[in-house]
This record gives sequence, C-alpha cells and structure tokens, in this order.
Amino acid sequence: MSKPVPLSKLDDKEFIVPANSACQGCSGSIVARVVSKVMGEAMVRQEVACCGPAFGNIIQPSFYGEVFEGAGAMMTGFARAFNKLGRDDIRVTGIIGDGGTIDIGFQGLSSAAERNEDMLWVCYDNEAYMNTGGQRSSATTRYAETTTTPVGEFSRGKKEAKKPLPILVGVHRVPYMATASVAYPEDFIGKLTYAKPVKGFRFIQVSAPCPTGWRFDPKYSAKIAKDMVLSGLWPLYEVVEGELRITYKPKELKPVRDVLVQQGRFRHLTDDEVDEIQSEVDSFWARLKEKDGGPLF
Amino acid sequence: MKKFEVMVGNKAVAYAAKLARVKYISAFPITPQTTIVQYLADMIANGELDADYVTMEGELSCQASAITASTTVRSFTATSGPGLLYMHHPMHMTTWARLPLVMAVVHRSTKGMQPDQMDALSQRDTGWLMMECQNSQELLDTGIMAFKVAEDPRVRLPTIFMGDGYILSYTSEPVEIPAQEEVDAFLPPYERPIPMFPEEAEKVREMMGELWSPFVDPQKVWKTQQEASENAKTVIKEVNKDFEKWFGRSYGNGLVEEYKCDNVDAVLVAMGTIASTAKTAIDQLQRDGKRVGLVAIKSFKPFPFEDFQRIGKYAKALGIIDRNVSTGTPGGITFTEIRHSLYDLEERPITLNFHAGMRGKEVRVEDLKRMAEKTLKASRGEKVTPLVEWV
Repeated sequence: MSKPVPLSKLDDKEFIVPANSACQGCSGSIVARVVSKVMGEAMVRQEVACCGPAFGNIIQPSFYGEVFEGAGAMMTGFARAFNKLGRDDIRVTGIIGDGGTIDIGFQGLSSAAERNEDMLWVCYDNEAYMNTGGQRSSATTRYAETTTTPVGEFSRGKKEAKKPLPILVGVHRVPYMATASVAYPEDFIGKLTYAKPVKGFRFIQVSAPCPTGWRFDPKYSAKIAKDMVLSGLWPLYEVVEGELRITYKPKELKPVRDVLVQQGRFRHLTDDEVDEIQSEVDSFWARLKEKDGGPLF
Repeated sequence: MKKFEVMVGNKAVAYAAKLARVKYISAFPITPQTTIVQYLADMIANGELDADYVTMEGELSCQASAITASTTVRSFTATSGPGLLYMHHPMHMTTWARLPLVMAVVHRSTKGMQPDQMDALSQRDTGWLMMECQNSQELLDTGIMAFKVAEDPRVRLPTIFMGDGYILSYTSEPVEIPAQEEVDAFLPPYERPIPMFPEEAEKVREMMGELWSPFVDPQKVWKTQQEASENAKTVIKEVNKDFEKWFGRSYGNGLVEEYKCDNVDAVLVAMGTIASTAKTAIDQLQRDGKRVGLVAIKSFKPFPFEDFQRIGKYAKALGIIDRNVSTGTPGGITFTEIRHSLYDLEERPITLNFHAGMRGKEVRVEDLKRMAEKTLKASRGEKVTPLVEWV
C-alpha cells in the first residue's frame, strides 16, 4: 500500500519544459509534471487526443497517437515490444484525459486491464472534453452545465451521474488502482512511487479541476480540488490486491454546496438539486467507509 | 530438399509470418481470417515461433497496438472485411508514423461473408501498399516479400498482402515451404524504423515535432508518402527478382503478371483468384487461335501505371474485371486507374469493364471466355456495349 511522500523528495529535474499552451490554472499540467518527475528518465509517454499536447513540451519520448480510443492498445504495443527486446527498464506511462479513459477509451482500458498489461495509466480527470471546448463526458458530475448539456428552460445540465470508473477498474483485479488529487501532492506522489516498480496494470485517476470548463478563477484550482476531497466529492482511496483502503479520511465532510457554489457550471442548481448531489456523495462515502480495509468486492 | 505441404491459404499466411520471424502479433477472430491467428497461436504454443501474441478486444486495437509495437519489433496482424473497416482509422496513423507493419487481409465483402475486394479497396487512400495473391503459394511468398518491401529504407510504408476469402483461405493445395535459413538470408533482421527509447528522447522530440509543427509544410506528410510509394515500384521489382534468385519463384515483374501476352490483340485484366481462373480461359481460347492474353494486377498500391502504358501499346483492347464497385463512378476501381494510366498514350486502346464476383458471386471459366471474346471483338474495331457490364 502507498505511503505519502513529501514534496521535498520530488526530483528537481523538470521534464515538462516551460512554454506550453495550457490554460492558466490548469491542473492537468500539474498532473503531467508530477508524473514525469516520479517516473523519471526511463519513461515513454503515450498521449491521445486531450489537453495533453498543450502541456506536452516534455523531455521524455512521447508518442502522440491520433487514435483517440487507442491508449490501451498503443501502450500494450509499446510494453510488449520493449519487453520483447529486453527493455523492461522503460516505463510505459499514459497521461490521458477522462474522455480517452472513461468514454471512447474505455474498451481499450478494460481489455488492457484484463490482460494485466505492464503500464501505468494516469487519467487526469477534468470531467469533460475540455480540449474541444468543454463537452459532457461520462466523467461529468450530475447537473453540471457543459457545452453539450446547456442549461435552459428544458434542461438542467447533465442528467446522469458520474461513471464510477475507479470502482470499475478495481473490479478488474489489477495490481494497483488509486484515486488522487492535485491538492494532495504527497498522497499523489506516494501513490505514483508505490505504483512505479509494480509490474502489470496500474491506474490512477487524478482530480484535475479546470478553471476554463468549470468556470472559476484560475487561482482557485488547488482550493477547489482540496474542497472536493474535503466534501467527499472526490474521495482518496486505493485498491491493492483487491483490498480497498481510504488514504485520506476527513473527520467530517464539508457540505458539497460549499464546493459547488464556487463553480460557474453549477450556478443554476436549486436547493433540491444540491441535496440530491449531497445524498449521492453521502451514500458513496458511507459505502466506501464500509469497505475500507476489506475487499472491494 | 524441397519441403511441400498440402495446406489451406490461411496456413500459408501463418507460415509467411513465422518465417519472417515476427516478434509481435495482435490477434482478433473474424471469418474468414480467423484460422491464421489460430495457426500462429499453435506455432507459438509448440515453440516453433518466438513471438509475443496478444489477443486484443477488437481489430481497431489490433492495428493500434501493432503501430506502437512496430516502432520496436517486427509486427504482424491479420483481418477480413468489417474487421479491416474497423481498423481504418488507426491505419492512417500507421502511414503517418511511417511504420513498416505488415498485415494479411483475407477478402470478405463489406456486405456479406463471401469475398470481394471492397474491404481492402476501401483502404486505398490510407497510404498502405497492397499486394494481391492468386493462390496459397503466392500468399506465403508475397507475405515474406511484403516485409522486405515495407522495411526497405526507400519505402518504409505499411503493407497489406491479400487474397480471397474461402477460395484461398479454406482451400487446400500443395505449398512449398522455404527453408528458414534461406528466408533469414533473404530478409534481414528488423531495424527499428523510428526512435522511441528514452535515450533517444531528443530524436523522438524532433520526429513528433516534425509531425505536429505548424512551421512544416502541412502537405509534406503526403508528399513524402507519395515519393515512398513511387520508390516502392522499384523496390518491389527488385525484391521480386531477389526472391526468384533465392526461391525459384517470382510473380510477373512484381507489379503485374502478364500471362501469355505475346502476339495478342486483347487482354483481360484481373486481380486475385479471378486472374487464376482466367488463366484456364486464356489457355482454352489460345488453343482455338484466339489472340487474347491476361494481365494480373499483383500490386494494387503502388498502382502499375507505367506497366499499363506499356501494355496499352500492344493490346488494342483491355477487358478489365473489377471485383469491386465504386458507386457514383462509372466503372470499377482498377478500370478507373487503368483508364487514367492510358490517357497519355497517343493511340489509346479500347477499355471495357466487367463487375464480377461481388459478394462471392461465382466467376466461371465460360464467363471469362465470354468477357475475353467481347474484348477481342472490341479490339477488331467492332462496336460492343455496354462499356461497363455486370456479369
């Protein structure tokens, strides 16, 4: 199981070099920066269509595949071929958005997990297709306004709940699965450090608030990420060998309302709608606590 | 001593991959391709082949994983019909990154299980090279040649070798299996076509930068592919000759096979197993003194443009058989390509087109004889109709 690693232990070397075209306050680029530093020199990065190329000015080799749904398959090819040539030292690492992971990339994700391919898949989750202008994905939270779920007389934003991907990956019985947040770098680095030497399929889904798409002041990215954890909207946990463990337990959850009101995408919410999200969060958190320290299923 | 075995076409394809010592195979079942990957699985299980064999969850992933694998090791995949259509999108990526991946296509119609060429010809503008086969021996031989052509530094383009489903895939005939040592001598070990190791990070950056840079001519990627594809004509001819030296077999000049084309007034043109059947029709017609030969298209991409200009000078009429349809254009795909080739000739021959064999519709010797007679009639200057006929 992972142990938090202090920020001071992080490699000074920068692999993502300055001058990139990410938006102000982009937490996806923080994810990429941290992942690159922990994985180090021997990393080969896989990208597909997402905001990734915007923070792609990196020193490690990076293969941008113009195959949106192909992350699982392309990383499989790399991992197998490197292994065949005896280059097990190369760490195949995907930095993939939520669409390429949870929607269009889900088939490849599931089958790479089923085959237990030797790769680390990091999903930076900004909860929509942000690179194409903020369209809804199955990672979008219920009632969020996106460019394909606009709010109007006949629409209240996204109708459906967020797909519980970490649980879905967990039930694939992969060697490692975790959630993380850019607001908890010690926890995140700890999880990456744990996952790095593990052989087989490793998956980390990182909460990455997007000021552009969620409509908040870019200076609050980390704050919103933190409040999501504190409110139970984004619980931090991991599944190792089928055992679930909550890695950070707030004593008492903050009301979700406090987090939602900070984001323009939830501006239209009624009290009832906030209550509905609150009850979903409460019930998920209760079930997670029940499972804590025991088998996921 | 020569080693023969009676085998179906799909086994011949598996032998080609095995003899090429592929190191990565991505597999997914689809009729009539399926037994190719089954034979390969057996070969690996028996220790005859040392390759990483990955059963993917679909053809798109077969192609996508073979793309990245082929940056590092010799890779192979195979498919048919709808499976190939499902691969279409990553296939553009394969040519973009200029990876010499080799793939076997066992023709299956896009509108049914039986064969026609619509699956492969729907990929004609992906930039892949495509080589057609008439029998199982040709499948095995072409498979080995395909790796050599694709990997040649003058080419570096992914390559399909293909043959008709059922007619070849499940039909047994004697096939000579080349000796492994000879294939090893003919086909050098795989050289990584693009850098991808961490110690080559600088070069990878350069390469990806070139693909994505706004400062590079946006059309350059197609321009260089076009040049490589032109180079492929020379390379295919060389490889075909070299193959003849090593194994005693070759296929025309590598691009087209002209069968009994001396002193003819007309030729039939066909691609795949129809050409094989047409040889019998030509034999019978020539026995009766009819001056008609056969041109089998061996390389569909690159298209043997110059060869047809040469053929167009000795044949007064060409009866072109298309096991494909390009709806919205009068005439099939090879018909259009050939007419395009002939346009610059001062004296252009007459061209007739026959749509035949779609969705496995049988094309018999007598059908081919009738097509040849019609073409001969046209070569004598007699009026024949229609220009494009459904057989």
